[in-house]
Amino acid sequence: MNLIVHDLENLTFNKIFNFNDRENYIISDNGSIKSCTGCFGCWIKTPGTCVIKDGYENTGRLFSKADNVLIFSRCYYGGYSPFVKNVLDRSISYLLPFFKIKNNETHHKQRYKNKTRLYVYFYGEQVTQDEMETARNLVRANGINFNVAEYKVVFTDTAEQAGREVAAQWK
Amino acid sequence: MEISIINGSPKPGHSTSGYIIDLIVPRISEGNILEIYNISRGNLQEGQFVKIQNCDVLVLAFPLYVDSIPSHMLRFMAELEERGFASKNTMVYCIINNGFFEGKQNRIATMQVKNWCKRTGLVWGQAIGAGAGEMIPMLKDIPMGHGPNKSIFNVLECFSANIMGKKAGEDIYFSPDWPRWLWKIQASFCVWYPRARANKLTKRDLYAAGK
Repeated sequence: MNLIVHDLENLTFNKIFNFNDRENYIISDNGSIKSCTGCFGCWIKTPGTCVIKDGYENTGRLFSKADNVLIFSRCYYGGYSPFVKNVLDRSISYLLPFFKIKNNETHHKQRYKNKTRLYVYFYGEQVTQDEMETARNLVRANGINFNVAEYKVVFTDTAEQAGREVAAQWK
Repeated sequence: MEISIINGSPKPGHSTSGYIIDLIVPRISEGNILEIYNISRGNLQEGQFVKIQNCDVLVLAFPLYVDSIPSHMLRFMAELEERGFASKNTMVYCIINNGFFEGKQNRIATMQVKNWCKRTGLVWGQAIGAGAGEMIPMLKDIPMGHGPNKSIFNVLECFSANIMGKKAGEDIYFSPDWPRWLWKIQASFCVWYPRARANKLTKRDLYAAGK
């Protein structure tokens, strides 16, 4: 299964990407997402599931089912857009609260045995070199923390260009 | 100087961001007008935005979420960028804390805030990045500058002096002066297991797959 997270209008996304619903699970902005409140309920109250019931509470479990996670996001200051970041903030139940040491840094232990692949497509005109460097560092850090098998970062001026980039590989 | 301090913690009550702000406020109050805004309490009012847009110094304090700026803080910063600032001389300082032990894991969020400064046309001041963020308020009864509070004391002194002088400084990343191996064990036995027990969950339950 491919898990796709994007910040585009659904109509625009469908026009550009044409992913089918059978092999892909798509997370998009329906206007109801709530911010993570830092309560750790997804670790110590309802392990593996966020306690905020707004339709985005199962993101961590969805990560565990995904062979590939594809993210399409406008680049904000060298990171994800607020909606995409909101989805990722709400996905920490994918990990356990406990710590391990990796490359002499502390990281969270894995809740699940799967190893997904992470592909991030940042779009936006006038993304600066500094922002690109920040974004590359960010996705690499996300890759370490989510224990992914591999990751890739692509920058395009428009979402349409991102669509053309992925069409052959992910359609 | 007019100093606007943004508490970007999503927690309405006690938070590490709020605790560090409380430590800094007495160090930067003399001769200055300070306003603290807690963005977890909902949208700011128009008058509050105007004050922030006209401040001399802006201090952004927030926790690290998934290696970067949390989404609610990002929305707030994007709104500030859109609104703009009255003066391009506003200096931006940043206080970030994360749940891992190493303060240096805050460096990517610092890069993001620096990129935001360039977009908004403001002047970068300095970032301090604390590791073991959950532990910091637990050390409140230990005198500043002693034992595990040695590094944070030195960092806050330097950071506050830079704010008072409206000077830029090297970004500083630090952790409590405490063994990492002990912190790692304490996190499980003093934090996660007791909190799970309070919710009538066993240690084993914490490893469950999501439903």
